[in-house]
Amino acid sequence: MKETIKGKTKISIDYTKCGDGVGVDPRECCACLRKCGPAVFLLHQTIGAVEENPYDPKQWRVTALWLDLCTRCMKCVESCPVGAVSVTWRQ
Amino acid sequence: MCDLCMKHGAGGKWYLNAEHYSNEIVEKYNLRDFLMEQYKNFEQMSVRKVHGFNAVGMGYKLRIPLIGRIIRRTAESLLMSTNPPTNPFKPEGHIGQVIPLEDAIAILETCAAEPIIEKNCMCRYMSRGEKEACCINFGVMSEIVDKLPRFIPEKDKYFLTRKQAVERFKEHNRKGYIGTIWFGPYPYINNLCSCANPECAGLRPRIDYGIKSIFKAEYIAHHHEHDCTGCGACVRFCQFGAIEHDPLKKKITINMDKCFGCGLCRHACKQNALHLTPRDEVHGHEKDY
Repeated sequence: MKETIKGKTKISIDYTKCGDGVGVDPRECCACLRKCGPAVFLLHQTIGAVEENPYDPKQWRVTALWLDLCTRCMKCVESCPVGAVSVTWRQ
Repeated sequence: MCDLCMKHGAGGKWYLNAEHYSNEIVEKYNLRDFLMEQYKNFEQMSVRKVHGFNAVGMGYKLRIPLIGRIIRRTAESLLMSTNPPTNPFKPEGHIGQVIPLEDAIAILETCAAEPIIEKNCMCRYMSRGEKEACCINFGVMSEIVDKLPRFIPEKDKYFLTRKQAVERFKEHNRKGYIGTIWFGPYPYINNLCSCANPECAGLRPRIDYGIKSIFKAEYIAHHHEHDCTGCGACVRFCQFGAIEHDPLKKKITINMDKCFGCGLCRHACKQNALHLTPRDEVHGHEKDY
């Protein structure tokens, strides 16, 4: 696989804006998941919380999983209604 | 014959061995509790740490010298494990194979244990947030999915007869979804999935990272060149990028190394120029699973 950038791509999701931190249920929105070409994101239950109650909507969050497959198209950043996603990389 | 057939096929293909579908295995390994725990926490399997590593940024981890090689080997041995399943948080013994439509029909008609259900695909849910009913499950899985409302389809039928299951599978296959059969966990077969490339959590390690999480089918596609008109319809159907259109010859070329033998390209061909040949008979690709 040929790399176009030297450094690693970092995708960070602000959990104070989306997910278990606030009352926003990521399962309702999923804009970043749907827009992403290579399906980099993962929708999952937070690990510690599951043992208590896996059906609680506050216990779901989105994680950027397959970071190296990101093509830096920035569609996830544009589509996020609360502006929680940010993508950074070193040229 | 792939390694799985050699070990578990009893002289034939491993997935056509009805022994693997029986409820006796469920009782023997106490798989009810195991599968319940596994499916309850299915989405977080990739973010949970196994031996100190999780799948976040997998590609970068695999590129670390030496450590990358260890991760790759650990992941493969975990997936191909034949020990009795113990930890539901690991993808232990969860190995699959691509199958063409004919073999899937044979499974549904003869081997699959009743009751047959169709549940929402977990992979599409966790990577796209979409609920699409296209995973056909057998036997004990109905008891497990009953307790997990996010997997129960709202619009489509949940319990299927053998005939309905065949029809549903045909529908998915013609749409362009790859048929796959899975040990989950070894030695119990309970999943007949219709997978799509970037979403499927089982295809991703194989296609993007070269980790053998799924075997290629027992077949390989080949085409009769004189029948091929070079329309290129099959190119769009191939999710593995194995078919290329050659504008000079006005024909297609099949990359035999990339072909997984799923047989989807046949649905696109109006000229009937594409066929599947058993992999054993193709010189140079006998052991390429």
